[in-house]
Amino acid sequence: MQHIELMAPAGNFESLQAALDNGANSVYFGVEQLNMRARATVNFTLDDLPEIAKRCEAKNVRTYLTLNTIIYDHDLSIVKTLIKQAKAANITAVIAMDQAVIAMAREYGMEVHISTQINITNIETVKFYALFADTMVLSRELSLRQVKKITEAIAKEQIKGPSGKLVEIEIFGHGALCMAVSGKCYMSLHSANSSANRGACKQNCRKKYTVIDQETGFEMELDNEYIMSPKDLCTIDFLNEIIDAGITVLKIEGRGRAPEYVAKVIKCYRDAIDSVANGTYNKEKVIAWMQELEKVYNRGFWSGYYLGQKLGEWSNGSGSHATQKKVYIGKGTHFYPKAQIGEFKIEAFDVSVGDTILVTGPTTGAQEMKVEELMTNDKKSEKGTKGDLVTIPLKFRIRPSDKLYKIVENKVEA
Amino acid sequence: MVIITLQRNKCIGCNYCVELAPQHFQMSKKDGKTVLLHGQEKKGFYTLKSNDYTILETCKNASKACPVKIISVKHN
Repeated sequence: MQHIELMAPAGNFESLQAALDNGANSVYFGVEQLNMRARATVNFTLDDLPEIAKRCEAKNVRTYLTLNTIIYDHDLSIVKTLIKQAKAANITAVIAMDQAVIAMAREYGMEVHISTQINITNIETVKFYALFADTMVLSRELSLRQVKKITEAIAKEQIKGPSGKLVEIEIFGHGALCMAVSGKCYMSLHSANSSANRGACKQNCRKKYTVIDQETGFEMELDNEYIMSPKDLCTIDFLNEIIDAGITVLKIEGRGRAPEYVAKVIKCYRDAIDSVANGTYNKEKVIAWMQELEKVYNRGFWSGYYLGQKLGEWSNGSGSHATQKKVYIGKGTHFYPKAQIGEFKIEAFDVSVGDTILVTGPTTGAQEMKVEELMTNDKKSEKGTKGDLVTIPLKFRIRPSDKLYKIVENKVEA
Repeated sequence: MVIITLQRNKCIGCNYCVELAPQHFQMSKKDGKTVLLHGQEKKGFYTLKSNDYTILETCKNASKACPVKIISVKHN
């Protein structure tokens, strides 16, 4: 059984920490504006690179810088700067689409990974990109049978990347799917000058649409108004087949999603990969993982095209189908390390004994636990409400300004 | 007076403002983001004040076209 690398998304330090705490083997992240999440409210900056590398090196986790937008002439200098700084910070590799980025990364001796946007579908293309890259993401319209043929051909023909090692094949395992080839879509550009290829997608495809014949005014009857919004990809229920196809890297999508999403999804897939490796992967476990995955943001799940060509499955809602949601309670004010007790200032809803709480922070990541006991304003109590200072025995360390949430059931409209 | 403001750190370098108002915006070769020419910086916001009302139309077009809505044009 080959080693499977579980690659986690990191949109910010909270998610990065959540990935590290839950068993990711590698993380990918964007810096500044040249990444496919340029619109994100928080993006890592150049100055964050050393800290990212330091945290990941401490856990022996590989780091990948996404530099996979389209590149204009005026970007060439910042691309060079990003690659140089990534190299200096000891970042493992650059994920690239544009040939200029590939060439520059090679020039500075950075390892290159070929982004999903290049849409590789055959062994000859793999051979071509092997001149520049050690790892490649294959196209979404390949079935597992086709993926397997490619991975077998790599081994048979000994196709090696610049590092001298056999080319590694990466595929997406879980998360949002685009209507188009990841980012290669002009809907957002046409409607708001907002290029998905620059990471500025406005997600037009996620909205409700009706189809009307302009001549007659006849409105088409559709079972579902979300005619362009695919459900999220989920492969945990056939992960054994995915691994059997000879891939080496399983990538989880979600740089725009919350840290608890990263924590939950990475934990499930870590567990699933390990189960496949030690022969304990079974139906019961799959059911349990699916229930866990459904708790965090999702648009409903489907298996993509991996299991053969079939019609896409469309989401039937604009937002999440998550069975749980988080409700903001307040923020961390102090931590008593000897007693392992966290102190929080309640700013919104109340928190009670028996509640499942979530604490997120740039260093804390996303930690979840059940409240066994709590004290309100130094008195043992069952509940803390707005304005109170509560202390809770914790299984993890918190920092001032960490956010405290309560996990509650989310009533999903079918 | 015409007041043009740019919240530069959110720029994604799409180049629209330069296309529509090249006399006021230029892409920086250094960091790939737009520069408001002759703008005064204060806490990350760049402001240009002008009594030349002829610049209004092109700058409004740039503001309208900006996909991340970081250019504001005000006038009295």
